[in-house]
Amino acid sequence: MLAKRIQPLAFQARRLYVELMFQVMGRALQAVSEVDSEVQGEAQALPKGFLFEMMVMPEGAKLIVEHIGNGRFHYHGGSAPRPADVSIKFKHIAHAFLVLSFQEKTAVAFANDRMLVDGDVSYAVRMTRILNRLESFILPKIIAKRAVKEYPENLHLPEKLISAAQIYLKVATHFVQTARA
Amino acid sequence: MTNTYYEFFCPVKVIAGKAALEHIPYELTGLAAKRPMIVTDKGVRAAGLLDPVIAACEESGLEIISIYDDVPPDSSTTVVRDIAAIYRKEKCDSIIAVGGGSAIDTGKAVNILVSEGGTDIAKYAGAGVLKHPLKPFFVVPTTAGTGSEVTSVAVITDEKKGVKLPFTSSFLLPNAAIIDPRMTLTLPPHITAATAMDAMTHAVESFTCMAKNPLSDAYATAAIKKVSQSLLHVMDNPKDSDGRLELAQASTMAGIAFSNSMVGLVHSLGHATGAICHLPHGLCMSLYLPYVLEYNLETIRQPLGELLLYLEGPEIYAATPASRRAEASISALRKLRDALYKRCQLPRTLKETGKVSEDQLDHIAEMALDDGSIMFNPKEVSLKDARAVLQRAWA
Repeated sequence: MLAKRIQPLAFQARRLYVELMFQVMGRALQAVSEVDSEVQGEAQALPKGFLFEMMVMPEGAKLIVEHIGNGRFHYHGGSAPRPADVSIKFKHIAHAFLVLSFQEKTAVAFANDRMLVDGDVSYAVRMTRILNRLESFILPKIIAKRAVKEYPENLHLPEKLISAAQIYLKVATHFVQTARA
Repeated sequence: MTNTYYEFFCPVKVIAGKAALEHIPYELTGLAAKRPMIVTDKGVRAAGLLDPVIAACEESGLEIISIYDDVPPDSSTTVVRDIAAIYRKEKCDSIIAVGGGSAIDTGKAVNILVSEGGTDIAKYAGAGVLKHPLKPFFVVPTTAGTGSEVTSVAVITDEKKGVKLPFTSSFLLPNAAIIDPRMTLTLPPHITAATAMDAMTHAVESFTCMAKNPLSDAYATAAIKKVSQSLLHVMDNPKDSDGRLELAQASTMAGIAFSNSMVGLVHSLGHATGAICHLPHGLCMSLYLPYVLEYNLETIRQPLGELLLYLEGPEIYAATPASRRAEASISALRKLRDALYKRCQLPRTLKETGKVSEDQLDHIAEMALDDGSIMFNPKEVSLKDARAVLQRAWA
């Protein structure tokens, strides 16, 4: 009985968590593209104006970023100015929650058919590498290891801490700017 | 409870064995199809492989309404549009693709256009675009390797944009795959070897990559056993129809396995090498397989060790210590490649192909890194890693 009453609250909490994580990740993608040369190198191969979307099917939370040139991303929030070039779609919010709460690695979620790729797969692979790089920076190593296929050996603590601080500062600033606007 | 989860889907009716082609009329009738069109290529027709298909249909009073035999090795949107126009003009109601990967992919794409309407196949590109079942579609493979007869994917080149368009939908799966040993009896030795190694690679990667599951494992191991037991026998006795059937079945089983569990780095490198150096896909698979397994070794030691049973048989498996089985599996594959080199000079290194230069390796590595199959490789691959595997495969 109690479980039945709590269930809607749990679903609501899960939905809010996924929405919040998309907002953080979208802003963090923009931030990491401003501070990390490796991410910039990866992103430079994407066409200028390239729109990347992560979303929960059928009409759930969305994360949309645009490559604005020189390896830099711009976070568009949850609405795109035009149809996305590549969309990674979680089949259900429960699957998005598994990945965004680091219970399932992104690569495992792909392997488990938790999500679909719509668009050029090579760009989706590139964006996944960028997401992995971002997660390796912003998450504590013990959690990052649960999120990415392999934690990068060459990412040492000083570099990680400095980059993570820069990214979190930019994310926080962006949140404040959005709230003011 | 673990997080284990998988999906497995294969609704294709497999019609395999002696006189399998003669089942086509009955199966078409069962789907209310009376006016089939054959889609094939000139090589298949010149080899006389259409004759038994046509004879099997005519003998049952089923007329083949139209035959398109000009599918190129890399099929294009224009070819698909042209074939669809003929299909409509002749009022056909079903498609029989006879051939290898290109003819089968073309048949799948034509089926989209004639079922969904229109002339622009590009608008159906992508995953999950199709929402309805298509027209009756049969596949008669003439090679034993691609497994395209049981995959839900087709790739067609958009000539204008210069890109390859992928189409993915379970509706692309044929209603039936007809596996008849007559269709592969005349395959030349080097194609027999390369395509069988393609099937072997599908099965090995299916069994060792990230999306492996109990059902795909069963198909993969059965396919590996069949290729291991029959390939060299067929190389020495090319007219042995039982051996040919074994290889054809292995190809279909490996196709079912990998279409449900995907493939990994061997395919990423193979796709890139095929695009840059124009080497046949099966050859690339055979070439890279042991080097990639060595790269992945510590991540896949347990499943790779299990494969020794299917590669070498129970006696060698039992006599090999568990800790050495993974290495022994790689050795078994190397031994098989050496035997094929001896029989038909199937290259074992990039240098032996004579078509790759060492300065192309960087480009191949870069392209491989963006290939979709790399997502399913059990071990993360960096540019440096891919380059190192290529260097080992060089000579």
